[in-house]
Amino acid sequence: MTALLEVSGISVTFDGFRAINNLSFSIGPAELRAIIGPNGAGKTTFMDIVTGKTRPDAGNVLWGERSVSLLKLSEAQIARIGVGRKFQRPTVFEDQSVTDNLIMALRAPRSPWAVLGWRARPVDMARVADLAAEVGLADALPRKAGELSHGQKQWLEIGMLLAQEPQLLLVDEPAAGMTLAEREHTTRLLVDLAKTRAVVVVEHDMEFVRRLNCKVTVLHEGAVLAEGSLDHVTRDQRVIDVYLGRSER
Amino acid sequence: MSRSFFLRNPSVLVFLLVLALFTLGVTLMSEAYGTALISTSFVKTLGKTLCLCLAALAMDLIWGYAGILSLGHMAFFALGGYMIGMWLMYARTEEIVVAALANEPLPATAQEIQNGIAGQIFGVVGASELPPVWLFAHSLPLQLMLVVVVPGVLALVFGWLAFRSRVTGVYLSILTQAMTLALALYLFQNDSGLRGNNGLSGLQNIPGLDGVSQAAVSVWFLWASAVALGLAYLTLAWVVSGKFGSVIRAIRDDEARVRFLGYLVEGYKLFVFTLTAIIAAIAGALYYPQAGIINPAELAPIASIYLAVWVAIGGRRRFRWGFTPSTGWIGGWFCWACRLWRSRCLRPRALAGCSIWCRACAGPTARGHRLAPMMAR
Repeated sequence: MTALLEVSGISVTFDGFRAINNLSFSIGPAELRAIIGPNGAGKTTFMDIVTGKTRPDAGNVLWGERSVSLLKLSEAQIARIGVGRKFQRPTVFEDQSVTDNLIMALRAPRSPWAVLGWRARPVDMARVADLAAEVGLADALPRKAGELSHGQKQWLEIGMLLAQEPQLLLVDEPAAGMTLAEREHTTRLLVDLAKTRAVVVVEHDMEFVRRLNCKVTVLHEGAVLAEGSLDHVTRDQRVIDVYLGRSER
Repeated sequence: MSRSFFLRNPSVLVFLLVLALFTLGVTLMSEAYGTALISTSFVKTLGKTLCLCLAALAMDLIWGYAGILSLGHMAFFALGGYMIGMWLMYARTEEIVVAALANEPLPATAQEIQNGIAGQIFGVVGASELPPVWLFAHSLPLQLMLVVVVPGVLALVFGWLAFRSRVTGVYLSILTQAMTLALALYLFQNDSGLRGNNGLSGLQNIPGLDGVSQAAVSVWFLWASAVALGLAYLTLAWVVSGKFGSVIRAIRDDEARVRFLGYLVEGYKLFVFTLTAIIAAIAGALYYPQAGIINPAELAPIASIYLAVWVAIGGRRRFRWGFTPSTGWIGGWFCWACRLWRSRCLRPRALAGCSIWCRACAGPTARGHRLAPMMAR
């Protein structure tokens, strides 16, 4: 199986602080992966690099079968090539309706001229309705995104990601601030999604990761510390030291 | 533009209706076509107000919707005025020179006429040759094209450089101020080719319309300004009603997020910046023939700040609910009031918005001057 995303030997330094240190990582086309690690382990920086927000000092990020280097592309180009990102804090456009938010995310030409002439066809509206139903927002379509609850905003953002039809989803702490029921819903969503595409979930919450029931990568000080099933990594002495050692200090 | 567009945005129809009624009303009260209730100079003031509304509309699109606080749009406005002013002045001077040379025993050659025009226009700055920038001034179609092309290209180049480097927020505002200041300082020089601080004058005299009174011309310009405003309003309301409007509002609220949706934010900003620059230029091209004179002081940074103030007072993004009346109209009225206040009372312009507006409307000097014909009835 060829990898969808192949990150090899990347390093990033911010003002002398080495946020990512010779990190290598790869994920297949339809795989669910959780990344865990203590604060400052480089989880968010890793996502920034893959999505083009941060340029690494060294290393390479290759995409897809044709091994396109993502390092040469802009954020918008990377998004169009098929990498979707969900931020930790729900970032939806609060001033606009749920429908408008989803329409903006729908897969369609992105140039100003194309967008200027774009008008919703019935098939687009049907797709929007489907997406809203999938993330549980069918009744909220005309509402302003700003009026939604925290959990609903998270789902809307996931819905927007789905509308982009990405091949790789990077999801940053999806369960943060959610109620138990909302968490379960989110878990189901993510597991479903990973059947057709690659999903990388960054999470603090071990219980949530256990529910995802997937391969886990543990980051520590900008490098991969351990990789495998959750049970496997939690038995790893180094992981225990990093997690438990820190919390006792 | 389908019927459903108007159904979803009934305010557009309301605005167009109010604009039409206003134009009709002024026409019926004008000296040329009506009861002469409104003086010609006041018709011109109203026509100019419509042009300022048009500029305010452009400002509302770029600031209210796209979130880019440009403090340089009056530079495009004035450039549009300069472009049309060059033709007006050239053609008008040509008529005068040809008439003067008609009495010569030998018929004047093209070169003599050219020299005569150059001497007439540039004598005031001590030059006698037509500068290269006046290359197209003899041709109305070419100069009309330049009204769009010159500000459009300037906006495109400036915007590309600024947005590409991801200059945003207050830094971009400062850059636009610097742009308009630099342009004004350049035009203030006598050898800039546009008559330095003298600017272009006599623009109210439209070449070829000697037999037509200013009273009639003023109403024609009012109509032209109203049509331009109506069309621009319709176009912009359509632009912001669709997905494009969604995207630029999203850019205003969180441009990083829009990038991760796959939109090239810089391209959108450049598009809006250039589009609004062109609208402002068209507004300027309609404004200055009514004002009669343009000089580099019109590009001073303060002019663009005023524009932002009118839009702020009128309410940003009001044209979403259709109340550009308040954006443009209050904006325009406010401007008119400011100018009136300044010219009549020699007051500094430091007073805050509404108080100026109230004083100018209700104050005895203002009423005595401009509204006298209306009050007399």
